Amino acid sequence: MKPVQLFDLAAAQARWLSVRQATVAGNVANANTPGFVAVDVEPFDKVLSRTTPAMVATDPRHIGAGAPSPIRKNEQVSDVPVKPSGNTVVLEEELMKAGEVRRAFELNTAIVKAFHRMVMSTAKG
Amino acid sequence: MDPISTALKVAASGLHAQSERLRIVSENLANAQSTGSTPGADPYQRKTIAFAAEMDRQSGGDFVRITGIARDQAEFPVAFDPGHEAADANGYVKMPNVNTLIEMADMSEANRGYEANLQVIKQARDLITMTIDLMRNQS
Repeated sequence: MKPVQLFDLAAAQARWLSVRQATVAGNVANANTPGFVAVDVEPFDKVLSRTTPAMVATDPRHIGAGAPSPIRKNEQVSDVPVKPSGNTVVLEEELMKAGEVRRAFELNTAIVKAFHRMVMSTAKG
Repeated sequence: MDPISTALKVAASGLHAQSERLRIVSENLANAQSTGSTPGADPYQRKTIAFAAEMDRQSGGDFVRITGIARDQAEFPVAFDPGHEAADANGYVKMPNVNTLIEMADMSEANRGYEANLQVIKQARDLITMTIDLMRNQS
């Protein structure tokens, strides 16, 4: 029987979503900082397709081994006019992104719940 | 560190920055008529606040830091009031360089920033709750 990868996938997406939430928080907090350029995380499919071989920790003194590869952040490209202060954050856009994160996270947890129920019903019989 | 708690901390730094800004606005508004007390003395000088983004290497979050509270170097407007205790030899009193309209605009912008940060905090809390709900007993 093939192992089920859904929990792994869901965990990876939850991690990506929470990094995105932190990025949105950084943008909103710096909405009035001169010269701040809004950032966004790379799309989830890119994170998935990137195949960085992870090092295996075989000794407790190994640092950084076995950790999931970091999610890159890059400057957001949008056609908003840059303000005189050099700040490119648009609050409305950030709140919209926050809404997207929320919707995706709700879906993610709902799927995990449903899948967990399925696994449990198989185990309990 | 867990990215959601990073989000909470970043939003909290934003809240702090905006509330300090609101404090500066209130000081400026309160002292909009504060003149000096000796002839020809300088009145209250408007305060300004500056922010900077600060990257925390450990968590990767962009925190806000208040870089400094400075004084507005704009010229003081003068008013003709010979009876005033701060009037100079010609009867002119220097008034504070506070523009109430600018302060009002600044106040509503600080308010908007504060609200946006609060919204982020609320949502981060909801995300945590959703994750914890996964562990709840499902019957």
